[in-house]
Amino acid sequence: MAQAIELIGITKRFPGVVANDSVNLSVEEGEIHAICGENGAGKSTLMKILYGMQQPDAGTMKVDGREVRFTSPSQAIDAGIGMVHQHFMLADQLTVLENVILGAEPTKAFGRIDFEEARSHLKQVGEAYGLTIDPDDLVEELEVGERQRVEIIKVLYRGAKILILDEPTAVLVPQEVEELFRNMRGLKNDGATLLFIDHKLDEVLAIADTITVLRDGKTVATVKPDEVTAHDLAELMVGSELPTPETTESTVTDVVALEVDSLLVVDLEDRVLVDDVSFRIRRGEVVGIAGVEGNGQAELVDAVLGTRPVKSGKISLMGEEITLIPVRERREKGIGYIPQDRHREGLLLPAPLWENAALGHQTQEPFTSGPFIDRDGAKSRTEHIRQEFDVRTPNVEVAAHALSGGNQQKLIVGREMTAGPVVLLAAHPTRGIDVGAQAEVWDDIKAARALGMATLLISADLDELIGLSDTIVVMLRGKLVATVDPATVSPRDLGAYMTGAKQESA
Amino acid sequence: MAKIPAWLRWSLYAAVGVLVLTTVQGFDDTDSLTAAGSSQSMLRWAVPILLAGLGGLFAERAGVVNIGLEGMMILGTWFGAWGAVVYGPWWGIVLAVLAGGMGGLLHAIATVTFGVDHIISGVAINILAPGITRFLSSEILTTLEGGSITQSPRVPGVGTFTVPIFGGGNIGTWQSPDFFGWIAAREWFLVSDIASLAKGLMTRISWVSLIALLLVPFVAWLLWRTRFGLRLRICGERPQAGEAQGINVYRYKYIGVVISGALSGLAGAFIVSPELSGIYLEGQTTGRGFIGLAALIFGNWRPLGVLGGALLFGYPFGIGLRDLDGSASHSLILVNAIGLGAVAIWAATRRKRGDAALALALGLVAAGWYLLSDTLPDVWINILPFVIVLIVLIFFAQRLRMPAADGLRYRRGEH
Repeated sequence: MAQAIELIGITKRFPGVVANDSVNLSVEEGEIHAICGENGAGKSTLMKILYGMQQPDAGTMKVDGREVRFTSPSQAIDAGIGMVHQHFMLADQLTVLENVILGAEPTKAFGRIDFEEARSHLKQVGEAYGLTIDPDDLVEELEVGERQRVEIIKVLYRGAKILILDEPTAVLVPQEVEELFRNMRGLKNDGATLLFIDHKLDEVLAIADTITVLRDGKTVATVKPDEVTAHDLAELMVGSELPTPETTESTVTDVVALEVDSLLVVDLEDRVLVDDVSFRIRRGEVVGIAGVEGNGQAELVDAVLGTRPVKSGKISLMGEEITLIPVRERREKGIGYIPQDRHREGLLLPAPLWENAALGHQTQEPFTSGPFIDRDGAKSRTEHIRQEFDVRTPNVEVAAHALSGGNQQKLIVGREMTAGPVVLLAAHPTRGIDVGAQAEVWDDIKAARALGMATLLISADLDELIGLSDTIVVMLRGKLVATVDPATVSPRDLGAYMTGAKQESA
Repeated sequence: MAKIPAWLRWSLYAAVGVLVLTTVQGFDDTDSLTAAGSSQSMLRWAVPILLAGLGGLFAERAGVVNIGLEGMMILGTWFGAWGAVVYGPWWGIVLAVLAGGMGGLLHAIATVTFGVDHIISGVAINILAPGITRFLSSEILTTLEGGSITQSPRVPGVGTFTVPIFGGGNIGTWQSPDFFGWIAAREWFLVSDIASLAKGLMTRISWVSLIALLLVPFVAWLLWRTRFGLRLRICGERPQAGEAQGINVYRYKYIGVVISGALSGLAGAFIVSPELSGIYLEGQTTGRGFIGLAALIFGNWRPLGVLGGALLFGYPFGIGLRDLDGSASHSLILVNAIGLGAVAIWAATRRKRGDAALALALGLVAAGWYLLSDTLPDVWINILPFVIVLIVLIFFAQRLRMPAADGLRYRRGEH
């Protein structure tokens, strides 16, 4: 078969790192080719080079046998390459149609957009590939899976034959993943070539025709899915043994650390976000909350932390009511917090690490001396976190944005753990970080759990939820709709509860 | 409400507004609120606000907050006056547009190319512009007959026209009938008031006002129906999405901000024209650029809404301008009280208790003030319009939605 894409010796250097080190990649026409690797292995850089967003320092690229050199995405688009970004490149307040035609608008005289032509072309593309969507919907009204479909249609609309999908399953629930895979197979049957990045190995094995593994910017292997197991792949990716989130024995005690009773949270327009939620977490227990994003989990965490007002209900920490006390006092009483978006809520990116390490604990030892910040104390504590939690940084004076995502997360986890919280609110603690850092975060949570920390865990990674939690509750439209035992539930069933397809039998 | 076409909805609002004005006039036994002269003066005040608001629209739809509208408008006043005096009125307008556009270009260079915070750059331009014009005045205006360091000689205008048939304008040399004027004279309840206001909007309108009004549908068409518009709007919503489709985001931001400045410059030219002042005076923009921004926010970042905001905010200024004894402004307080009462009821039905209580309290203050006084002191005539702008924004701004990436620094390749 012909080669749709051939990359030979692609090298890309950034200040201080070699993102791609003579990478070779060969993708056959009409196949689904997976690129696997840890975060920082160079997958995204490679895809950006292929899509013209970045230029390689060395190496050659061939598309359909012809040597190419892209200096912008529009050249890649002209060559028939389309990219489905992990973070959707869609404008929420524009319609599906506007989003799809953007940059490839059919026009009449005076630059008027020919909306009729656009509509019929969109319909035609949709029918050809079996993807349907209402062109007049605003993107903000769409589900995550539908938005992804818009992204794919957008690429097909431009006549792309080679599709790059950057971690397409990261934002989907299992049912949506199946839908996506059906669509991907459909596209393949219609002659498209698909190149996708993923680090969920069972998914890769399920869908890919060929798998290329990257590690530290180099291609380490190209394999067929029937030749390898998930375990083999993981070892190829990490270069060592595979970590798992599984906890061994229960450390649950009888002491209730956090009790939430009939909690009601509403937004400014009085829409109910958290609806009559009650649960308790005992010391040494991890309670996982499963749910499709946007079903009130984030608001629940905000309410417990104190950053969002509570309409009614009661929150107690170690038997003491904290419903109405401010965030700082809750933090001082022992609530630890790993935010879901570390850049927005977890760190001050331009500030040095030691200042970041003081965040949330700025009123406590060793960060203060009297009314002042204790710089030396803060720095030595940060140094301690750096060593204990394996934060890879030259020193504690560097700015937080200089660290990779995994190291930033380890700093946050270290910051919270060293303070010895009674209750830890962990929202997506391993989102977007690589397997190695993920394993370290899991170990940290497990260790603290063994010492009696109570944890409220929110995660979109169902394996993580099942592996770490002692109890899992499912949240749907603000309500807790089911309680399941992680020892017996499968990710599939959990997904069914999350979408409401399955209800708890009374 | 969403299904009613925007123009019809705004017309309904306007009709209700006139009804309130008429009723209030009944109490005060005056016709100053709905006199043809009032709407004429409202339009004169509204035009600069509208132009600045549309300017703001171009910038903010492209994702750049332009608080420098005021400064760009100041550049427009100076160059508009100087150009009109030296080269003739239309040249004044051309120069004002160019000068405003240069102000916009400066803002674009700072915010788009160098990533300066939009507010900081805008404030800098607002400080810079009066300095530049002062310098230019001292160098140039002082050499002109009748000019000084703070003012220009008389500025000639581009002329006006009156709509025939409806407003009694001439067709050739024949004076056509004055339809609205005739109805206005009948003193029919509400109908005559509307006709009177309509006549004001059709009598002796400056060509610039006409251009400004025609810009409203044109801008709506340009931004929502054309390729240029879609690409400009993506820069304000999700520039990364535009970049990923090969759209040069920087270029569209530049275009948006320069147009923004040019429209502000045009607003400045209008301010110095005989329709409003007929002279360049230092400090004469009196915050109209900011009120243009307020109209933009009130209008929910849409052209027709900006027009609504400009007329709404232009009205009290227009009334104040004609109000020599403070009686019309005094009536306006009652209008405010009624308006606040309406807001209170509206907020209460949506269970926004805080809003309802605030509106009620302000409304009661206004009503009390109205009852306990007969006229408004001079100082309040000037302040009242600003207070109205402020109150309107307090209640309306919270339910509006600006472009998603408005005011955010955009760097190519960053996510």
